[in-house]
Amino acid sequence: MSERPHLLLVDDERSIREPLAQYLSRNGFRVTAVENAAEARLRLAANAIDLVILDIMMPGEDGLSLCRHIRETSEIPVILLTARSEETDRIVGLEMGADDYVLKPFSPRELVARIKVIFRRVATGGQRVTAPDGATYAFAGWLLKTQERTLVDAEGVSLPLSTAEYNLMMAFATRPNQVLSRDQLLDITQGREANAFDRAIDNQISRLRKKIEPDAKNPTLIKTVWGGGYTLSAEVRKL
Amino acid sequence: MKQLRLWPQSLVGQIIVLVAIALFVAQAINFGLLLRERNRVELTSQTAPVVYRVINALDVRPDRWPGRDNREQGEDRDRDRRNVDFATTRPTLTGKPRPDVEARAAAMFEDIGLTVHAIAAAEDSRIMPLRRWEQIRSRATGEAPRDHRVGRLTLAVEYEPGKWLSTEARIGSRPPRFGGWLVAQTLILYVIVLIPLLWMGRRFARPLKQLTGSARQFARTGLADPVEESGPGDVRQLTTAFNAMRARIIAMLDEKDRMLGAIGHDLRTPLASLRVRTESVEDEGERARMSQTIEEMNRMLDDILSLARAGRSSETAQKVDLTSLADAVVEDFIELGSPVDMIDSDRAVAFVRAQQIRRALRNLIENAIVYGDRAHVSVQHQDGAIRIIVADEGPGIAEDKMGEMMEPFTRLEGSRNRETGGAGLGLALVRAIMAEHGGSLQLANRPGGGLEASLVLPA
Repeated sequence: MSERPHLLLVDDERSIREPLAQYLSRNGFRVTAVENAAEARLRLAANAIDLVILDIMMPGEDGLSLCRHIRETSEIPVILLTARSEETDRIVGLEMGADDYVLKPFSPRELVARIKVIFRRVATGGQRVTAPDGATYAFAGWLLKTQERTLVDAEGVSLPLSTAEYNLMMAFATRPNQVLSRDQLLDITQGREANAFDRAIDNQISRLRKKIEPDAKNPTLIKTVWGGGYTLSAEVRKL
Repeated sequence: MKQLRLWPQSLVGQIIVLVAIALFVAQAINFGLLLRERNRVELTSQTAPVVYRVINALDVRPDRWPGRDNREQGEDRDRDRRNVDFATTRPTLTGKPRPDVEARAAAMFEDIGLTVHAIAAAEDSRIMPLRRWEQIRSRATGEAPRDHRVGRLTLAVEYEPGKWLSTEARIGSRPPRFGGWLVAQTLILYVIVLIPLLWMGRRFARPLKQLTGSARQFARTGLADPVEESGPGDVRQLTTAFNAMRARIIAMLDEKDRMLGAIGHDLRTPLASLRVRTESVEDEGERARMSQTIEEMNRMLDDILSLARAGRSSETAQKVDLTSLADAVVEDFIELGSPVDMIDSDRAVAFVRAQQIRRALRNLIENAIVYGDRAHVSVQHQDGAIRIIVADEGPGIAEDKMGEMMEPFTRLEGSRNRETGGAGLGLALVRAIMAEHGGSLQLANRPGGGLEASLVLPA
């Protein structure tokens, strides 16, 4: 990766493409902006692209199809843009292998923040998918449904999770039996670094324990590792 | 007025009850006619013997053939004159007068062509001597002989002025045995008529019931399976028509959804463009205000699209712990630094679409924060229902404005500034979501001040 990461912006709307390209350039990226999938394929073949920002709804070949093509041929991260808020779009997009998903109208600052999170993860060799992909994880009698951001207990009753609880639960479910430090958990769930007195993770852990532990005082699922952090001590199956 | 409980509500029930009543009335009329006819026959059979005796006696009366005294005729005369008394004054009759017999006898005399001047009839009873076999039986068994009373009818006729003739004859009276026969006949009729009717009714009722169920389901969810076409022709046609209507409505709703999706997309694209461009505005305050306005427009658009799509959710309902749900929503608000707290509540499981309830609750909490400074959220069980309560510390709403608040595009008086924002769709959307769940949105002013908005859901 060069000093200035090279982004490929694919959007048929000139009114978005041009100002967004300008904004991203001002924020330290090299940007190539194209208006359709065919042109994007040419650029992908000819240039060393570090990340693709892709509009889903485009005339001709749509963003999802191009996303699948990119995933089949390379490891280049993809952020999808869409104007539709339907859940199914998001899930389909993530199933196609997109790394993140941004709803129009979006804050350009937030887009930049997400791009940076992805680059940092790539740089540290992190796993590709941290975003929900519509899958269900099963552990210790519980189901974690990513599509609905909810836990389902043995009786089939859903316990909806807050965003923070859900992110934390996902971090554990995708890394069972690994010891995760507070810093790691913060980085995975919120993309930020912990300061010395940060108790946010501990609060979320205790909230999660109240929900899933038979006895929150003596946790058997989310265990505390002294000096290390926390670990989910259970077999996790992805359904 | 409360309806009589015996009167059934269903079509089949009403038909059967009506037919049963009609059958019973017809049977009663039949019975009345039969009884009348039987009485006439009875009367005739009582009257006839005395009348014929009188006629015979008059035919051979002594003053009829003064010159002739034929031997053969004389025997007849003797026989016919037996049991007949002639008198010159009106005989005194004992017992109960029988005007009905008098009338019948008069009619019979008239039919024969005999003119009589006056008729009197009476009935009494007397003890008859025991018959021979009865005496024997009584002796053999030691039983006391039964009271042997028989009815006796006396008829006196004035056949010429001042000349009376009277005669008497035994009459029997049969006790009527119609009651049991009527009941049996009615029951047989009921079985013959009502059983096929019941069968027919069920044939009608089953497809109608399916239609009702399907229509109800459709009204509630906007989705329903087509109804199987069965039953008699008329009902089958109704089912066909219903299925056609259902298909058309679904097609229209699908079309609406597609259109809304397109509108959403078309409006969000320029909004996104604006949002990106705001970043090039130098003045930071101005930039923040612009992006806030765009965010607001986007949320309005969201609300409009959601309201228009209400009742057509693709999400499936499942058992959800509403306390966990409320807690999760509150936690997300706290995370953003909003003044919201959750009051510890017991587990409360209901069958709902979780995303929709989340949305409804978020709307209530946002309202509470905007209009009532703080939001206190709790979940309660109440009379088989679950209430998710959002209480605030604001001024509340005037009682007469409560209903109005739930209509689309209504906002509190004095809140039409951009500061508080919103298109006034929030509560309308909440209400639509609640209606889809068979629940309701309730607003009430709290005794200590502030508004209490409750999502009431069936447990």
